Amino acid sequence: MAEEFIGNRILLVEDEETLAVGLEYNLVEEGYIVKWAKNGREAVDFFKQEKFDLIILDIMLPYINGFEVAEIVREKNPQIPILMLTAKTESGDKVKGLEKGADDYLTKPFHLQELLLRVKGMLKRKSWYKSASEKQPVYKFGNNEVNFETLKCLHGREEIRLTPQEAMLLKYLVEREGEIVARKDLIEHVWHLNPEIETRTVDIFIARLRRYFEVDSSIPVYFKSIRGAGYTFSGK
Amino acid sequence: MRGKHSLFYHILIFIIAQLVWLLLLGIWIYWYVSNYIIFEKVGDQVSPQLVYDVQNALPFILGLILLIGLSFITSLIFRHLNVQLRLNKLYDNFIGNVTHELKSPLSSIQLYLETLKQRDVPAEKRKEFIEMMVKDANRLQSLINTILEISAHEKKKLLHDFRVYKADVIVKELINEACEKFRVVKENYEVTGNASCEIVASKDALKVVFDNLVDNAVKYSTETAKIRIILNCNSKKVSILFGDLGIGINVKEQKKIFNKFYRIYNKEIPNVKGTGLGLFRVREILKAHNGKITVFSEGEEKGTTFKIELPSYTSIGKRRLKKVLKTDSTK
Repeated sequence: MAEEFIGNRILLVEDEETLAVGLEYNLVEEGYIVKWAKNGREAVDFFKQEKFDLIILDIMLPYINGFEVAEIVREKNPQIPILMLTAKTESGDKVKGLEKGADDYLTKPFHLQELLLRVKGMLKRKSWYKSASEKQPVYKFGNNEVNFETLKCLHGREEIRLTPQEAMLLKYLVEREGEIVARKDLIEHVWHLNPEIETRTVDIFIARLRRYFEVDSSIPVYFKSIRGAGYTFSGK
Repeated sequence: MRGKHSLFYHILIFIIAQLVWLLLLGIWIYWYVSNYIIFEKVGDQVSPQLVYDVQNALPFILGLILLIGLSFITSLIFRHLNVQLRLNKLYDNFIGNVTHELKSPLSSIQLYLETLKQRDVPAEKRKEFIEMMVKDANRLQSLINTILEISAHEKKKLLHDFRVYKADVIVKELINEACEKFRVVKENYEVTGNASCEIVASKDALKVVFDNLVDNAVKYSTETAKIRIILNCNSKKVSILFGDLGIGINVKEQKKIFNKFYRIYNKEIPNVKGTGLGLFRVREILKAHNGKITVFSEGEEKGTTFKIELPSYTSIGKRRLKKVLKTDSTK
């Protein structure tokens, strides 16, 4: 099943040696090529030197923490999926991670199968998205223009870059223009039933899209909330 | 955020309370003085026999003392509250750090167990994985021990297994063990000086001391850690200078590093892990040995030197000797 992803390159950023060795072994067994960065500084160096398909990123890291690494990565490459690992259970950390550009997160201790499924899911979404966006790469609504291939958007004259997760959410909503989409549906289809994703995460991402594309994000025109039901997108 | 807000509210409440006391004080003085003037004016006319009595000033003075006292007590409460708030913040950090320190080895053990269960791991790899698990289990054990011992230290209930040792023999042995544990190679540490006198110490407790110092030297060195230990002794005490060429500690933080839960947060520090209990535990152990630990560092990037002083065997009073070594014999 994972054959199409064999040879995909993963940057594993983890300073706990024992955990990193185990993760590396498992990812290599799945057919991925793994590069292990022991700290934030190394992660940024590797990221600048080489090309990767996915990043697994711990938060508590020496020198530069995971949040900062995510920010640096997002500046250079808005498309690469980032899976954050966190030992902290506070939802504040998760929210911060998602805001800094992570696409998904996993709380330590985690199950091996779950991690591998998440990695596969993220790579799969990335390739689905790639093929879907090739059909209709540019979409316009209001004074906004979204390029689903480059993830570059124009809001009036202002240029914005979306993260892959934001772009996927937008793509899903655009494809269902005028329909009411429940949060549950979004979690199921955009986040692929990640049990740790709470409805609040969906709200955070919607808030981000509003911030990018609405003239006044407190009075949304394109991304409307339907009380008790979910969200609806209208491009007109 | 929440911490910042609560501090702001506390300061606000404190200022308002102080203003209220001041206002009351003002009203109290005004009321008394105006009454006194009226009394003087009218009193003479109404009844010349009435003479101002010194005793009448008593309620006034008592009122002043009461109001000033209340204001003083408010200040005291505010000060204590601040200390408590700071402690709470440190404690929250500690819980966060401990959660991290517990979960990291646990997730690693779980990962290896699941790997072994789900995959056909070759024998050599299997051995490597088991070693990793043992390492993580040890890490968990030492963390749990530290946490449990801290409360015993505080209640002074920890019974150390005191024995008489030759200072240089035990120190060298423990340093060698600690350096091996934290992978400091022989070329990177040296023990010099002479301390052939004897000390009364608990080997297990001193092991914790040197493990912590070596671990810190490794953690807080940007390059490979280089450690230098100088031993010295006289009839009264044994001194151990433990120096590293690490990132150093600025003067402001030198006083705080032995405090419970205290951790230095600095971007340049390569390792962010820890509970903030290590040096606190070291200090408590040395206190239980009637010794002490101090730190010098000329500042950041200039290395750090810890000085440990322990009473030598000959300087310890008979009564204490009997007491600590008795603990040992009852074991």
